[in-house]
Amino acid sequence: MADNEKLKLLQRLQAVRFAVHDAALYLDSHPTCQEGLKYFREKRELCEKLTEQYEEAYGPLTAHASSAEERWDWVCTPFPWERGES
Amino acid sequence: MWQYEKTLQYPVNIKNPDPALARVIISQLGGPDGEIGAATRYLSQRYAAPCREVQAILTDIATEELGHVEMISAILYQLTRGLSIDEIKKSGFDTYFVDHTTGIYPQAASGVPFSADTLQSTGDPLADLHEDLAAEQKARLSYDNILRLVDDPDVRDPIKFLREREIVHYQRFGEGLRKVQDMLDSKNFYAFNPAFDKPAKRR
Repeated sequence: MADNEKLKLLQRLQAVRFAVHDAALYLDSHPTCQEGLKYFREKRELCEKLTEQYEEAYGPLTAHASSAEERWDWVCTPFPWERGES
Repeated sequence: MWQYEKTLQYPVNIKNPDPALARVIISQLGGPDGEIGAATRYLSQRYAAPCREVQAILTDIATEELGHVEMISAILYQLTRGLSIDEIKKSGFDTYFVDHTTGIYPQAASGVPFSADTLQSTGDPLADLHEDLAAEQKARLSYDNILRLVDDPDVRDPIKFLREREIVHYQRFGEGLRKVQDMLDSKNFYAFNPAFDKPAKRR
């Protein structure tokens, strides 16, 4: 498996997840800021796309996103404190 | 309700163990201005917040602090992997090792275990928000002090990220404080506990 590609995708995903989180925090105190709302919508859309792409290729990021067909996927991928994964 | 995400908020990839450094950085896990205290403080204070905006700020920042608990723990874990007994003795890590081996235990750099004595939940949103502003500043300066002690770029990088977050949180709490003040009598913001003496109007 191309570990480099996995890492690259994960880093993009982490960056966009962070953007979504930080924008959400901003909107808590600026709930009608149109520019902020637009930024949030754009980042959320990208985040959903990348999450789907990542989970499809490398496994679930949340327990509930795990495949539950043959076996429980959640225990097949490393937790993020292991170096190289995060 | 919370759901765990299997990714750190910001990457932690430390190549070289350094147990002496772990003994210092552990303060940001369980020390007086650490991340466990921050998360506990904001999670506890939410119920006295008089408006949805401040309830949201406290909830969302507390949630992020839980992610910071995980980042600091990952730093400690990676700084203490694969140590020899000789390294443990020489680095002064032995006094931690005797109780915890290389497990992650919430304590200050001084060895004092995490305590809720380091935080308050007063039931007064003005008092609480002032504490929160101070807490973010204290955490920021603790990270500044850590950065003065660390050379390894693998460690500095995530610590710098965490430092930046304290500044953003300070800004958000400042906005929350302004929101609460806007609901009160501008001639004397501090005459009442707005959550107890004088019910604020719901928004």
